[in-house]
Amino acid sequence: MKRRVLTFLILVTLLVPAGMGISLGPPLKLAPAGMGDQLKLPVESNSVRFMVIGDMGNGKARQYDLAKRMDEARQTFPFTFAITLGDNLYGDTAPEDFQKKFEIPYKPLLDAGVKFYASLGNHDSPNQRSYELFNMNGANYYTYKQGDIRFFALDSTYLDPKQLAWLETELRNAGSDWKICYFHHPLYSSARYHGPSTDLRLLLEPLFIKYGVNVVFSGHEHVYERIKPQHGIYYFTEGASGELRKGDLQVTAIQAKGFDADNTFMLIEIAGDQMYFEVISRAGQSVDSGMIQRQVPSRTNSSANQPPQKAR
Amino acid sequence: MIRKRPNAGPLKYVLLVAFLIPCWAWAAQTTASPKQMHEDAEGFRDFSEGVLKYVKVHNSVEARLRQVKRADAPENIDAHQRELASGIRAARSRARRGDVFTSDASEAIRHVILSVFQGTQAGAARATIQQGEPLRHRVRRVNGTYVDTAPYTTVPPTLLMSLPPLPDILAYRIVGRDLVLLDVTANLVVDFLPQAIP
Repeated sequence: MKRRVLTFLILVTLLVPAGMGISLGPPLKLAPAGMGDQLKLPVESNSVRFMVIGDMGNGKARQYDLAKRMDEARQTFPFTFAITLGDNLYGDTAPEDFQKKFEIPYKPLLDAGVKFYASLGNHDSPNQRSYELFNMNGANYYTYKQGDIRFFALDSTYLDPKQLAWLETELRNAGSDWKICYFHHPLYSSARYHGPSTDLRLLLEPLFIKYGVNVVFSGHEHVYERIKPQHGIYYFTEGASGELRKGDLQVTAIQAKGFDADNTFMLIEIAGDQMYFEVISRAGQSVDSGMIQRQVPSRTNSSANQPPQKAR
Repeated sequence: MIRKRPNAGPLKYVLLVAFLIPCWAWAAQTTASPKQMHEDAEGFRDFSEGVLKYVKVHNSVEARLRQVKRADAPENIDAHQRELASGIRAARSRARRGDVFTSDASEAIRHVILSVFQGTQAGAARATIQQGEPLRHRVRRVNGTYVDTAPYTTVPPTLLMSLPPLPDILAYRIVGRDLVLLDVTANLVVDFLPQAIP
């Protein structure tokens, strides 16, 4: 009798958690809790570390306050570059606006050598592509590599056939690198004000799936949101780095985590096949964190995030 | 006992019409008459010629200016944009609406736009415009400036797939319901098609 009860208890302990876990992609592990004000990122040697900001360039106190948090974070998490998700400058874009809305708030980061790789939003003049501190090299869309991560910065306000063809070629040539795409308009969103860009999704998602894109960052919605993996791809919205729409997020079936109470920025660390992320608010709180495990793609399967396929 | 088949009566006509209506709608959106196709081809030819003519003007003005580097300072970018716009305005001081969107070109492009906004992706295209902070005001004049502080309405990519391709210096923009041909480097309205977006 006792043996039967013990066997039953062992089986329940093993099977119930497995039965409750439904994974559509690689497992998402949460970093250990209870680290107080310290960042939860591991800061491994030889890792690639960067910051993600979006919809920041309004020149207001909130942007400046958050920029101070970014510099504080950099003291313990020395990131070397940042990506912007568009709406880099709001309103007037005279030369002095570049100072007020970008160069002054981020001066400590720029002085420390942090490079910003910008993408364009719907509030951005295409001529920002020539602005030296955005490192776009005169192009509305471009690709670059950091470590074994290939980044693709797109212009989602004007996704024409030429850009799509370019993207497909570059994705095909990226091999087994981490593939991270970023652009302004989110393909998935639980925010009320704009909602998901389904027209863009029709054209971009098939490419992302076919060529194994791992992570997509977008802005436009002035909130932070992490979406549950869609076809194995992780989607993040970070559009609250200067602008903010409080209370705009709905709770939806696709949402893994959302935060719309304060401005935020993201810190990312990629070490081997792990991507760690942490989201910091203007108040200095960690509002989301975790780790994404990238599956190593097989030779015949170009999509890095699909589960292993059975042999024929 | 012989059992008579039930008389379908009016029901079969209702079903027939219910089947035909979507077929007519699909045929209307996907099948242009040969006459229309011929006229549209001429319209697109007109449009291409107008675009090429404008590009020559743009290039000849820009060749006389200090070139913007790929990584440049904001004051240089700003100065270049203003000087380029000023030079182009002077070079095409007689430009009028319809120079590029000629009558035939307008007709052809309106057909393209209609086919997108009546097609299977119409809902997604409309949603894109709505989500992209649609602008209320209308474009007022050729050679005018696109207002610096106004955001760009996202041009539905499904629409861009169907419109004639443009050289890099030009882009389609949507302002209200107008389709604008914009010189993105000079921030200058080249021409516009009023009330083009249904």
